[in-house]
Amino acid sequence: MPTDNDDHVDRRTVLKYAGTAGAVGLAGCAGGDGEGGDGDAFELGVTMGQMDSGLDPQDHAETNTEIIVGQSYEGLLDRDKEGGIIAGLADDWERTDDGNVRFMLRDGLTFHNGDEVTPEDVRFSIRRIVFDDVGIVSPQSNDLGVVDEVTTGDGEVTVSFEGYNPIAFQLFATNGEIVQQSWVEENGGDYINRNVNGTGPFRITEYDSGNEGVYEPFEDYWDGEPAVGELTMSASSESSTRVNQLLAEETDIVTNVPPNEVSRVNDSDVARINSVPSARVIFLQMRYDVEPFSSQQFRQALNHAVDIESIIENVLNGFGSVTAQPTLEEHVGYNPDIDPYPYDPDEAERLVEESGHAGVEITLETPIGRYLRDVDIAQAAADQIDSLSNVSCGLEQREFSSLVQDITAPDIEDRPHFNLLGWGNGEFDGSQTLTPLLSSNGALTVLKNDEMDGLLTDAEATEDPDERVDILREANQLAHDLAPWVFMHQQFSVYGVSDDISWDPRTDEFIDPDTATQQ
Amino acid sequence: MSFGRFALKRSLQGIGVVWGVITVVFALRFVTPGSPINAVAPLDASQETRAAIAAELGLDQPLYVQYGQYVFNLLQGDMGRSYIKGQEVTTLVFERLPATVELAVAASVVALVLAIPLGVVSATNRNESVDYGATLLSLGGISTPNFWLGIMLILIFAVEFDVFNTSGRGVNVGDVALSLTNAEPFVGTLFAWLAYITLPAIALGTYFMALITRLTRSGMLDELSKGYVQAARAKGLPRTLIRYKHALRNTLIPVITVLGLQLGTLIGGAVITEAVFSWPGLGTLVIESINQRDWPALQGSLIVIGTSFVLVNILVDVVYAYLDPEVVND
Repeated sequence: MPTDNDDHVDRRTVLKYAGTAGAVGLAGCAGGDGEGGDGDAFELGVTMGQMDSGLDPQDHAETNTEIIVGQSYEGLLDRDKEGGIIAGLADDWERTDDGNVRFMLRDGLTFHNGDEVTPEDVRFSIRRIVFDDVGIVSPQSNDLGVVDEVTTGDGEVTVSFEGYNPIAFQLFATNGEIVQQSWVEENGGDYINRNVNGTGPFRITEYDSGNEGVYEPFEDYWDGEPAVGELTMSASSESSTRVNQLLAEETDIVTNVPPNEVSRVNDSDVARINSVPSARVIFLQMRYDVEPFSSQQFRQALNHAVDIESIIENVLNGFGSVTAQPTLEEHVGYNPDIDPYPYDPDEAERLVEESGHAGVEITLETPIGRYLRDVDIAQAAADQIDSLSNVSCGLEQREFSSLVQDITAPDIEDRPHFNLLGWGNGEFDGSQTLTPLLSSNGALTVLKNDEMDGLLTDAEATEDPDERVDILREANQLAHDLAPWVFMHQQFSVYGVSDDISWDPRTDEFIDPDTATQQ
Repeated sequence: MSFGRFALKRSLQGIGVVWGVITVVFALRFVTPGSPINAVAPLDASQETRAAIAAELGLDQPLYVQYGQYVFNLLQGDMGRSYIKGQEVTTLVFERLPATVELAVAASVVALVLAIPLGVVSATNRNESVDYGATLLSLGGISTPNFWLGIMLILIFAVEFDVFNTSGRGVNVGDVALSLTNAEPFVGTLFAWLAYITLPAIALGTYFMALITRLTRSGMLDELSKGYVQAARAKGLPRTLIRYKHALRNTLIPVITVLGLQLGTLIGGAVITEAVFSWPGLGTLVIESINQRDWPALQGSLIVIGTSFVLVNILVDVVYAYLDPEVVND
């Protein structure tokens, strides 16, 4: 954005001298001029691909909404930029002797309306998420584990589970935003979805559903008022429009910059690319119960047939890293001893012959536009498989909602045989990928294997963290060997960031403008 | 048939069309793959959670119950609540409608202001360089995809020369009007509004401009060759009077018809332009609703678009009948 040192006269300068300060403010030029703030306060604009699906923090299950509401609502625990667990509204937490978890609330916490945060509010919030009879059927009902009950004490809250929950703190560090009981009970769904009353660093002053939210700092924020004086979160579905906004200095942070736009940003003198490995893994699922994918050799063959390094280099411009197991490197249970399947078409052809499925025709189904360059990635993988002399592979592009309908079908027999999928694991624990995707009862499973089920059951029940890590590592080794997926890559989050600010992206795809500083 | 009966007949036909839109759009949800539950619930939601969400949204009811309930609520002005946003659809739609109407009207103004003079000049200078220039321009306008034009306009006039905003609708026409009555400087607000609306209006209006130019040119040529024009010339009437009072007026009758049809199309069809310019209109809401299978929001949007289309066409028919009374008897 222009500074006082700019020597050219641009549109904003003209508008300013035409006396349109108010109008430009209305215009949501959150990129602003870097002028007019008090002290270090500055205006910050963030442009994403899509806005929220309503502002109720407990009635959604997707990242964009979490980013929008997460500026205003917080949980008991939080995460740092690398995914480590840090304090949130609770400044201390412990596991009790009977396996429950206890959170001690900070002193003097208030909601944006000035009311004190009470343990009863926390109890209500957790119960509203996990129990259907407390107001809403929350799509987050599985996100806190199988909660049995929530009890309150003097400045503390204790959560008990049905059985032992070894990842309770991981779950609460990612999920479970706290709302005020009386505010929720006094207001209807439409109001709660258009207004906020959280404890977070920003509160919304203007909200245009699906288009823009304008925030101001919460002066009583427990961690200190943020340096950002005005925050504007907006959406542009077209990636080229987001990049143009950044280059025209109308916004400061844009999400999901496509690889083909990276050089345009880096070559500009106003912005740069910041990227970080995300918590999302991309893979090709293969159903264990249908031929030819029922053959372990065939599944391994496909892993040898796809040159993922080449795909990362050529399709993703390097914004990805090769995976060899379901669990990502930053997550609990990652097995550092597993190497990726090497790209080896000859070995792939040999394994296909050995599987007895030479000459087979298969089709890879892929969503359109759901993940970074998903169709191009799937096309490249399908072409490489098709180039084997003894396998024909076609590609079917499918609208995401339609594909998900099949992927989540109650009966595995109704699910696709071979499809591309991405999985975000915000809890940073391997079990949160392995269980839903590879256990026999997993909601999205393509595998039924007694040994895997046994390992995951053990991991759920083990109280010793070190032992649990060993079990998860073993499960990852088993997953690698069984090859129910073609292991593709870890997706990177690619942001365009204005040179006027300093900001580091997070691994969990959340955006935290309160950590941005002006430079 | 009297003029009043003609207007009433057209209005009743319009109501039938809107009811048809409601029914067809409602039926579409049952033949379209995918479910709103997939947009509400996480991928790994249990079947129990999915069933509970379906029950909360009323999706577990028989079709006729859902349809009957929907029409019953609609008759009371209640379009329901968005499955995804949890917000009232009526509010969602009417928040977006002004932006779409503003863009459609601005695009029409851009188109008409350029097209009618161009068409007239082109026709009155047939086979001369100005005619070739106008023809080339209109051919270019018809052939250029508006998403490409929009991106080029942004790159040149917003990013490179910084004359206009790249996207968004920071200032609206209402702000401009309000600036006349409050302390906000009018000229500055007007310029700020123009900075937002100009590029999307050009991108959306270019095709329309090209169409009207061609229509005006051919209409003028047709009228200028008619006997009454020759008679007027023989009577010694001034050339400008013949062209602009007689020939142009008759030319404008089909232009008004096309204008009405196109304005309806612009209200419903600005989807791509809205996406390129992040214009927060109904088109964007329609796309979001389709992707997420948010049926109440989609139905509400399409009903409003359909109703707008019908209303504009009724208005055009009535104006047409007023300009040419023989239409009433036809």
